[in-house]
Amino acid sequence: MRCSINVDHIARIEGHGNVHLAIEDGAVATCEMNVVEPARLFESMVRGRTFSEIPYIASRICGICSASHVVTDLLAIERVFGVEVSDRTHALRELLIYGSYLQNHATHLFVFAAPDFTGHASVFPLATEAPELFNQALALKALGNELCTKVGGRSVHPITAVVGGFTSEISRDEYLALAEKMEAMLPFAEQTVDLFNSFPVPDIETAGDMLAMVQEGYYPVCTSRDARFVGAGETFDADDHEAHVEEYAVPHSGALFARSRLSRKPYMTASLARINASWGQLGQRARLAAAKAGLRPPERNPFRNNVAQAVELVDALDRCAGIARRLAEDDSCFAGSSEPVPFTVRAGRATGFTEAPRGVLFHDLELDEEGRVKHASILTPTAQNVANLEGDMRVLAEKMVAEGAAEADIRLRVEELVRAYDPCLSCSVH
Amino acid sequence: MSNLEFERERPAAPRVVVVGLASCFGCQLQITNAEPYLLDVLGQIDLRYWQLASSDPMPEEFDVAVIEGAATTAEDIETLKAVRKKASAVIAVGACATTAGIPGMAAGNVEAGAAAVYGEAGAPEACGELIDPAPISAYIDVDFEVLCCPIDTFAFIDVLQRAIYGSNRLPQTATLCGECKHNDRGCFFGRGVLCLGLVTRCGCGARCTSLGRPCNGCAGLSPDANVAAARAVCAESGVSVTAFDEALQMFNYVNPALSEASEE
Repeated sequence: MRCSINVDHIARIEGHGNVHLAIEDGAVATCEMNVVEPARLFESMVRGRTFSEIPYIASRICGICSASHVVTDLLAIERVFGVEVSDRTHALRELLIYGSYLQNHATHLFVFAAPDFTGHASVFPLATEAPELFNQALALKALGNELCTKVGGRSVHPITAVVGGFTSEISRDEYLALAEKMEAMLPFAEQTVDLFNSFPVPDIETAGDMLAMVQEGYYPVCTSRDARFVGAGETFDADDHEAHVEEYAVPHSGALFARSRLSRKPYMTASLARINASWGQLGQRARLAAAKAGLRPPERNPFRNNVAQAVELVDALDRCAGIARRLAEDDSCFAGSSEPVPFTVRAGRATGFTEAPRGVLFHDLELDEEGRVKHASILTPTAQNVANLEGDMRVLAEKMVAEGAAEADIRLRVEELVRAYDPCLSCSVH
Repeated sequence: MSNLEFERERPAAPRVVVVGLASCFGCQLQITNAEPYLLDVLGQIDLRYWQLASSDPMPEEFDVAVIEGAATTAEDIETLKAVRKKASAVIAVGACATTAGIPGMAAGNVEAGAAAVYGEAGAPEACGELIDPAPISAYIDVDFEVLCCPIDTFAFIDVLQRAIYGSNRLPQTATLCGECKHNDRGCFFGRGVLCLGLVTRCGCGARCTSLGRPCNGCAGLSPDANVAAARAVCAESGVSVTAFDEALQMFNYVNPALSEASEE
């Protein structure tokens, strides 16, 4: 078999990317994920800017995970200044990040991925074919927007989260109303796990390792400093990420690629990596939904990231409803204030670390004594994923060529694989 | 049937394409964030191309082009010109498209910036031929603008309606201060805190200032702004004028009006 498969401008992902696959004599000769985003130069742009502007500027790297970029910068800046924020502030940040999980996973699963399985070009035909499903999917996405808006002030690029705390908060009744809405949405999220588990996917195993945030006894998204390569069992502090993760440039991609320095392997970071790293720390309902879908570690099929995202929807709703209820109580662990605490500006360097919806996110900031950025290095989830995605595209193509699959089928499946990674290519080139 | 009654042929729904240049995609997401109304909004138009939501390819003919993002490559300029030739109306959405926004801050420093991020070889080929980021109006005529970073979903729907039904094309030009005062939340300057509402275009409903956050100027400099007077207000209120000028760069880096104002 000899053919070349080129997909220019893959649809239903965030950002611009092409796939080039050349198959010669029944073997995959070339396999490239071409990230054709213009360089946006955020790391050089923030140099010299004052600390309070950094979360504001960096959140513009990505519309959908803007909350994650903001929180990651705040964590880095507060670590440099030695700011201790209240437990309430921590809880609100967690809610904010989970709001973007709901937005991201619902958008990715229903708007981007689902048409692959329903055989349509977009989600819109579902509005007439399965109106109930369509409306509930939109309602789930809207709930994510609402959570971000109630906590952060708007659904994209939060307003209220600043160094030291929050500039504004909703009322206790609004927290309770949010909790009720999230609890009411749980059954649909559970159905979503079943739905995506029912879609047939190729059986492949990822070429690389997986990287996720880990924390003793908790499913963390912004409360730990420890990152772990799940396969290698290598755990490191976020401040040391440079010693463990290597970025390198390739000519066919505007995004830098990444691999483990130790194993030299590429890696995946995403819902699937988190579930592999912290399955036991999922809430009970999410664990049950995952078990029912047969999703438990080790799960190394990247196509299963779709189901992993659905499981995280269940977990996020369940977890956030609990947090929102505690925020509404007078005597809970989150009682007290989220008002920004006072702090002193000082020089230093630290890495902020969170789990964005699409995987681990590092912001390494060096500030001078006035709090201006001397150096910034940002490592987004998709930038870390592209090398592994290329590896997995090769694994998939080789398997399908060996099985004698038709060119059109290979093309379709490769596109599905790209979408299963939920890449944000605009984010990857930042 | 009287002679006065006549059958008016219902015009075909306008064919709309959505084009994304360098951006965070946040404004396109804000369009999808119209959830409960999304189908009503889309029902008025014939959406022909939206790469974010559909794998249907870009058509040869269309009526309205919605463009997000700043022009940051030579290829973008070609795309813009090609789209403008076909579109009877162009809507620029968001700060990047209307002011060059945050990407604009790289202007004048693209080569050095690329070397700082990618090493001495500069940006990889796949990035395209980088130019100083600019609002799309630097290269093509723009009929309508939806301001802010990100756009407000309902502001987009409002402008889309105007483009479809041909109503008021005049943009609002007043500054945010007037809008903010309606909220009666007090003024940041009274507390010695810098706010760009003095010189920034209105229309957002003063969302940030209502939530305790000073205006960052994402709607861009108002044509009515008196920058010199705003600097005087800063000085009187104990706010650093340098900080004001610096903050104003964030969304107005490539605005010629600002460089003129600083020469005053």
